[in-house]
Amino acid sequence: MADGNGSNFDQFAAGVFSNNPVLVQLLGMCPTLAVTNSVENALVMGAAVTFVVVMSNLITSLLRNLIQPHVRILIFTLTIATFVTIADMALRAYMFDVSKKLGAFVPLIIVNCIIICRAEVVAIKCSVSRSLADAFGMGLGFTMALTILGIVREILGAGTLLKQPVLPAAFVENGHNWVIMILPPGAFLTLGVVVGVVNHLRSRKATGGVA
Amino acid sequence: MRKFVAESWLVLVLGVVFACLLAGTQTQLSAKIQANQAKALENAIAEVVPGFDEKEQLEIDGNRVFKCVDGSGQVVGWAVDATGSGFIDKIRLVVGLSPDGATITGLKVIEDLETPGLGNKIEGEWADQYETLDATRPIVRVKGERHAADNEISAITGATYSSDYVTDIVNDVTRRIGPKLAEQQ
Repeated sequence: MADGNGSNFDQFAAGVFSNNPVLVQLLGMCPTLAVTNSVENALVMGAAVTFVVVMSNLITSLLRNLIQPHVRILIFTLTIATFVTIADMALRAYMFDVSKKLGAFVPLIIVNCIIICRAEVVAIKCSVSRSLADAFGMGLGFTMALTILGIVREILGAGTLLKQPVLPAAFVENGHNWVIMILPPGAFLTLGVVVGVVNHLRSRKATGGVA
Repeated sequence: MRKFVAESWLVLVLGVVFACLLAGTQTQLSAKIQANQAKALENAIAEVVPGFDEKEQLEIDGNRVFKCVDGSGQVVGWAVDATGSGFIDKIRLVVGLSPDGATITGLKVIEDLETPGLGNKIEGEWADQYETLDATRPIVRVKGERHAADNEISAITGATYSSDYVTDIVNDVTRRIGPKLAEQQ
């Protein structure tokens, strides 16, 4: 874990790659599995989580010298709940259709462990700039992981990408689309394969190319 | 008391600050959120009752009903806002009925959380098959080929429950509200 060592950019890059919250830490599985049946849902969920983790890390690191250790979790939760509610209202105001599809999963960002984990591991003891670098890295890493799943599931399940048809029309018309990819099992199958590939690449890197 | 304040003042201050922040956001956005919901309903009514100029909101047997009239004041149709149970959460839809309340002129689902990829097909073209069905007798849900003359609709493959729930809501509307419409003209 690149927590507290290296430059701010290293901290940012770790969130996206070597310490990716979804594909490496395996945190935040609930939205990862639930809302990745289309790329649009994945991107909006990623953006909402990025907003919340950035605001949570910002507030926590600004107040880090004032927060009494035994009430810190209370303050994290208070902060996170506030910004999740703001994100939820903003989605309902400006992206009404997507917010209807995401349903309860936007309010559920409150209990997304990635966000409280970043507050506890980084923001409570690091400078504002470092905490922000970490938050943007984690947010981007989360969005990227969800988008990869969304791309695979939407193409195979519906033959489209961001609602634009990408596979020949006959694919869907003749019923060759894998409906299972849109359903929950498709989320598990895709996540399993993607995490497997990531682990393979990491072990190759660790052993210098021999896997 | 002093110890209590020393340890908890930040929580109290943040509570007040965040509450103000939320109240501000709510004030800013609530009008827009309500407008979005109203617009979804407007669009659905326009889809299920073709060609009206004005509409008037009534309440019949606990449901919101929109009386749609053309420029000369002639009733061209009715739109009934109805909610019923679905497979996962409530389904809210708008049923369009002819001026005498005897024929269904359209159906549009406006709120649902049915299974993506299966049950949520009720939001799309599938609902068009309710158009032109007879509202004076119950609609029957069948699997496979349907016969419109027998007031049948064909279930979504893999989402028979969702198809049933929508049919139940429509049948409830035509049974309770359909016969009352003619006298409202």
